[in-house]
Amino acid sequence: MFQSFIGLEIHIQLLTRSKVFCGCKAAFGEEPNSNVCPICMGYPGVLPALNEQAIKMAYLVARALDCSLSKQAVFERKNYFYPDLPKNYQISQFSSPVGQNGYMDIEFRRRKKKVSIREVHLEEDAGKMIHAGDISLLDFNRAGTPLLEIVTQPDLEVGEEAEFFLKQLRRLVRYLGVCDGNMEEGSLRCDANISVNHLGRGLGSKVEIKNLNSFKFVRKALNFEIERQQDILARGGSITQETRLWNENRDVTEVMRTKESAHDYRYFPEPDLPSFKPDKAFLKSIETSMIELPNLRRQRLIRACLLTEQQADFICEERETTDFFERALSCGAEPQAAAVWLASDIQKMLNRSGISISESPLTPERFAEMLTLISQKRIHGKIAKQVLEVIFDENKSPERIIKERNWEQITDRKILKGVVDKVLERNSPVVKQITQGDPKPLGYLMGEIMKLTSGRAEPGLVKELLNEHLYLSFIQVLSMGGAITGKVNGAGDISPGDLNDVIRQVEEQGDIPKSIRFEEIEISRILSEEITPEDWSSLIIALDSYLNRGNTSGIVVAHGTDTLAYTASLLFWFFPDPPVPVVLTAALNAEEAAENLSAAVVYASEKKGGIYVSLGKTLLSPLNLKFERIAHNGFKNWNLQSPLYCSKDLSLSLLPLSDRKELTLAIEQAINQVCILKIFPGMRGDYLISLMNTGVKYFILELYDTGTANLRESPYSLKKAFLEGKERGVLFFCTSQQEGIVDFSGYITSHELWREGAIPMGSLTTESTFTRLIVSLLASESDEDLLRLMEEFSEDINFRA
Amino acid sequence: MIYIEDHWQGLFLKPQQLKKWKKYANSADKKIGAFLQFKPDLAHISSAEHGELEGVPFAVKDNIAVRPFKLTCGSRMLKSLNSPYTATAVKKLQARGGVVVGKTNLDEFGMGSSTENSSLAKTVNPWDLSRVPGGSSGGSAAAVAAGIVPFALGSDTGGSVRQPAAFCGVYGLKPTYGTVSRYGLVAYASSLEVIGVIAKRVDTARMVFSIMHGQDDLDHSSLEYQPLPEVPEHLTVGIPIECSRDLHYDIDKSFKKTKDTLGELGFTVQEISIPSLDYVVSAYYVIATAEASANLARFDGIRFGERAIEADNPEELILLSRSRGLGDEVKLRILLGTYVLRSGFQDQYYLRAQKIRTAIRMDFEKAYSGVDLILMPVYSYPPFKFGGDGLDPFSQKLADIFTCTANLAGIPAMSFPASMENGLPIGMQFLAPPFGEELLFKACSIFEKIFPAPDSPIYSTEWSE
Ligand SMILES: [Zn+2]
Repeated sequence: MFQSFIGLEIHIQLLTRSKVFCGCKAAFGEEPNSNVCPICMGYPGVLPALNEQAIKMAYLVARALDCSLSKQAVFERKNYFYPDLPKNYQISQFSSPVGQNGYMDIEFRRRKKKVSIREVHLEEDAGKMIHAGDISLLDFNRAGTPLLEIVTQPDLEVGEEAEFFLKQLRRLVRYLGVCDGNMEEGSLRCDANISVNHLGRGLGSKVEIKNLNSFKFVRKALNFEIERQQDILARGGSITQETRLWNENRDVTEVMRTKESAHDYRYFPEPDLPSFKPDKAFLKSIETSMIELPNLRRQRLIRACLLTEQQADFICEERETTDFFERALSCGAEPQAAAVWLASDIQKMLNRSGISISESPLTPERFAEMLTLISQKRIHGKIAKQVLEVIFDENKSPERIIKERNWEQITDRKILKGVVDKVLERNSPVVKQITQGDPKPLGYLMGEIMKLTSGRAEPGLVKELLNEHLYLSFIQVLSMGGAITGKVNGAGDISPGDLNDVIRQVEEQGDIPKSIRFEEIEISRILSEEITPEDWSSLIIALDSYLNRGNTSGIVVAHGTDTLAYTASLLFWFFPDPPVPVVLTAALNAEEAAENLSAAVVYASEKKGGIYVSLGKTLLSPLNLKFERIAHNGFKNWNLQSPLYCSKDLSLSLLPLSDRKELTLAIEQAINQVCILKIFPGMRGDYLISLMNTGVKYFILELYDTGTANLRESPYSLKKAFLEGKERGVLFFCTSQQEGIVDFSGYITSHELWREGAIPMGSLTTESTFTRLIVSLLASESDEDLLRLMEEFSEDINFRA
Repeated sequence: MIYIEDHWQGLFLKPQQLKKWKKYANSADKKIGAFLQFKPDLAHISSAEHGELEGVPFAVKDNIAVRPFKLTCGSRMLKSLNSPYTATAVKKLQARGGVVVGKTNLDEFGMGSSTENSSLAKTVNPWDLSRVPGGSSGGSAAAVAAGIVPFALGSDTGGSVRQPAAFCGVYGLKPTYGTVSRYGLVAYASSLEVIGVIAKRVDTARMVFSIMHGQDDLDHSSLEYQPLPEVPEHLTVGIPIECSRDLHYDIDKSFKKTKDTLGELGFTVQEISIPSLDYVVSAYYVIATAEASANLARFDGIRFGERAIEADNPEELILLSRSRGLGDEVKLRILLGTYVLRSGFQDQYYLRAQKIRTAIRMDFEKAYSGVDLILMPVYSYPPFKFGGDGLDPFSQKLADIFTCTANLAGIPAMSFPASMENGLPIGMQFLAPPFGEELLFKACSIFEKIFPAPDSPIYSTEWSE
């Protein structure tokens, strides 16, 4: 087994007005050699003069990385000849850099880590040499612009983690306003050091990798190196200390120079610059320039505003977004609504107009005003979107817009009651149809009322009024088949049966309160083990339409036992906050059917909105449901301190529900890429690779205990499969075969799994992980998105309830 | 008080006089070769200021930038470089009316003690045309001694102002490190060097220094000049016992004479000890060459200077340009400097030299608690002959012992003509504590009264009559 140690050297271009040692403009993309003077061209006799803004930014970054700040920052000369280096030495820092011994906290693949920062130092950049045919051209505009180098300790382990760290660091320096963090344009540059060694032997030979000018290259080059070095070590070889270059065309690293040809930079103190001794006033100005850093701000917002991790990531990525958000809150905006609007409609408007939020006509004040209009029910969501468009087009306040356009919602009960009365009067046959038990025409009535009010009627109030007038309170019973509706045939086998039979039985038993009327809708008449993607999509579409109908007070889903754990958790993720209770029920045999169904109907009429599983009198959470025949009623929940019925806190952004066919196709596609595999002794890693060959992109691996598996070099090792998977972009999510929490932080093999890229799913069961994955696949646009959704349980479920 | 003799004042405002002076200057320079570029007309355009130096000509060593003059540093590498800017110290003199008339010869990049290391011209001693003028500011010293200018600027890294001044029988001031901006002085050893003045009279040196000093935003190692609170009426001079060893007969004689004269003039003379003196030459050459190896790296033929255009690639271009453009002494010092800075060798050389430097500073600090000034010879030898008949390069370096001490300690020092021995001027020097320039001027003035700078055989003021 191997260990890897990765350290990064990051260069950031500081956004100072002038160069670090002369008065030339520090600007990019201008006419070559237009921003130069005798000093930055290294003319004889000139001397450097330290730019105060640059040294201040340097101290600010060092402070933000919790470094101990140098009381006497020394500049040194780093000597090497290169045509784009005017003096043929670079003024840099060596013995006493601006900052030392700092750290940055990260959490990657659910593992918290302190990444140590060895040092932060200020230096000057070189010019640029361009080869054009057989001539070389030099542009010195960049020569002498300030660079800050941030060096980490070798605390990182895999390419993805290094990439993640780098992105966190970029967010930090952008937040501080000292660098724009553009890797492609070179304002943020990264070199990496990597050392791979046999487990337990500490650091081995160090290999430096250069030319990593994108986040992707950082990840790919490091993973390539890990594999390359592991291969060498596995064959009994040793690693050569050298510098390698990432070749982006061939996706490999190549030798650039060996240790023997390494530079001797002959550092010595720069005699032209006295050491910088920050005085009290300077240090105080650093403290006052310190802002709340993105990580802390993110955590605070999650706590204070109950934001999801995903929402918090979005809001905290850019400082101006975070500032906008908080200013809107101080103007009275409600955090949840503000977060949702910012990430969706407002982001869309900004993308369309190509401006940033601080440049847009939408001020935090206007935004808060708009949200208040919604919460005061003076406008509803649809109108709000129109208001937003007008703000962008005409630069006016929401109040003024709705006044000018007469868009204010009708919330006056008296006025609306008049309209409702009028519509009901005109449509008496339809009303009759509804009161006799067919709610379908309700949508038509709703439409008529909206027409009469030009869309300004408050929808919730209309629904309420309609319910009042029509005395509606329905419990819908949907059937997904299974023993609960099945029949025992002559041979003693169960075959799919008719829900109506059971309902009749229930009615005859008379356990249902008289006030409840229920109707049944048959989704499918199948056995539970025969559930297909199409059945799920039918169920979801049906649930969605009943949940939104307005006259549904509860829904019961009759389901088979075998796949109940899957369907229940699927609905849990899919409907994070249902307005009425959805109760899934099942029966182990036909005898229990009527009893269980009537109990479920009662729960559906009494409980608050949520997804429930009821089995007789037992009420269980749809999350982490396990079917164990020996358990009471055949089911129990794993790892839950108290049951969860609502996934609000862990919610995915709402999915657009299209038609059944499309949804079926989407679910099918998702499932086709997923495979659940229970690890067993002697299982060959090759199996996984052959599964990848059939198109599996996402594995859910059921591991032993808290998350271990065979990784020792042997045919039974999963290692090769992991490496192959990494190459192909395959993801591994790990659950346990036992009740318990999968945690990769403790045991050696499980840590190795983490290093290879597996993601521990904590307390989630295989079934709940599977459905979370399916729903995440539907909700995400990229693997990056997906990973974020899957990793969102930063705390374990059982503590969240 | 007369700072500058009458005939220099407003020279450039008097066309008739000026013409006569030019004729004299040209003929004098033909004999001694002090200037690399002598263009009084070129310079006059840039100076129309009023002040103490109004219309007064002066010369500048050609490693100090003056626009639009050349800036060759005596090197083939820079023989066609025109300076795009002017050094702060020169600008200050120009602002008081001073007129730069030309750039003087030097040992290439200031590396040498004879001006023989110039790749561009030969300068001779006005006292004896077969002898060197000293160096590296040999051109500046010769020009002053020949009466072409009343003063000239030089740079002193290890004695480069004081030693040629002594060889040519004029005054040479090396100010406290940092009191005169180095902006525009082509760096040889940045932590040691300073721009200094070579003048025919003490007062002239004093006035020029008073104009040049002061903190400069363009030089972060420069300091505000903070003169000592008071100059005592009666001066005590220390004589290091370590100075009397290995002196040339003439120097020894002059040194003893000077001690006696000082006593007669009312100075209190007492023996002191500077134990670290034995190590200064080694420490000086380690530090100076280390810094030089980096300072001279910029001469690569790419952005300015002589370029090997036939090179096939940038690396070859750098290599060829440097091999051809730089002289042997320069290459030797770059190699030495590169050697002492190698990783793994710094403890042994560079860091050890810095420790010696600290020890020297402390020795001087201790010494100045008992004396106001220290008297030392400037150089172990009188002006020597050119080439093989003269002093070999290694002995020349050993003889830097008395001058480079002040550079390592960062303290001011001034050489003065002390006596004539065998027809050649011999110089001695006073060293003072940091910012003690006024002590130097006072002591030198007292001595000047009984032994003013002698006129060299070439020297003449007939043109002004
Ligand atoms: Zn510049």
